[in-house]
Amino acid sequence: MPQSIPPRNDAMAVAASALKAQQSRMRIIAENIANAESTAREAGGTPYRRQIPVFEARNVNGATGVAMAEVRPDQGDFRQDYDPSHPAANADGYVLRPNVDTLIEAMDMREAQRAYEANLNVIETARTMASRTLDILKR
Amino acid sequence: MGFADIPLLNQIKGRMTWLDARQQVVAQNVANADTPGYMARDLKAPTDFARALREGGGLTMVRTSAAHLPSPNGPVARFKSDKTPDSETTLDGNSVVVEEQMLKMAESRMAYDAAISMYTKSMDMIRLATRKPSAG
Repeated sequence: MPQSIPPRNDAMAVAASALKAQQSRMRIIAENIANAESTAREAGGTPYRRQIPVFEARNVNGATGVAMAEVRPDQGDFRQDYDPSHPAANADGYVLRPNVDTLIEAMDMREAQRAYEANLNVIETARTMASRTLDILKR
Repeated sequence: MGFADIPLLNQIKGRMTWLDARQQVVAQNVANADTPGYMARDLKAPTDFARALREGGGLTMVRTSAAHLPSPNGPVARFKSDKTPDSETTLDGNSVVVEEQMLKMAESRMAYDAAISMYTKSMDMIRLATRKPSAG
């Protein structure tokens, strides 16, 4: 039978959930950048579509943590290049390129990095506070 | 009467519990800094920390008979958090500004350190009083 353990150090558990969520976000960003030039395999087909991670507040030991709820496709328009010799070119000679803007992805990556650092800070502070309390025992 | 019943130590204990709870609220805010529609939260500071700890809204054991021993530990402290949006709200409805949360975190940590020092100093005074005179 599972024992109910009083939640201790929820701050760390919450920050850890955020670290995980930001890691997943980084993975999506990496996918987008990697596929920034992935066209369709067949003539006139649709290329890679940019993916957007969506976060959601989620319960972690009774506290509000965070998790990646879903990954949504970006409904923005594809870029079009005139290149009749390209294997994926349609009847008019246009090639559809992914709707990935590497500049936006780079900004997103920076944001994920900052959020990750902020959560690491939270863990560090929670740890210091706990060890300061334990220091009382040493005296 | 134990050490924990000394009013000063009780206040410090209440203060530390409150700061710990606040740290958790800040952690929640920072974790949800990119969650659409999330509104930042914060704890209200009570004027009397010891009383807030005693009457923190948690459950107390009821004495239905005079023969029952009183429960030594008060109710579990449970401080209420209120929605307190930071200075900016993004287009997706998120009102967490990480910088402001970091400030709150540093503030709580400093206050926590101060409370700990206060506690150790008080204990040192008690220790001094219990020492035999010749030990100087």
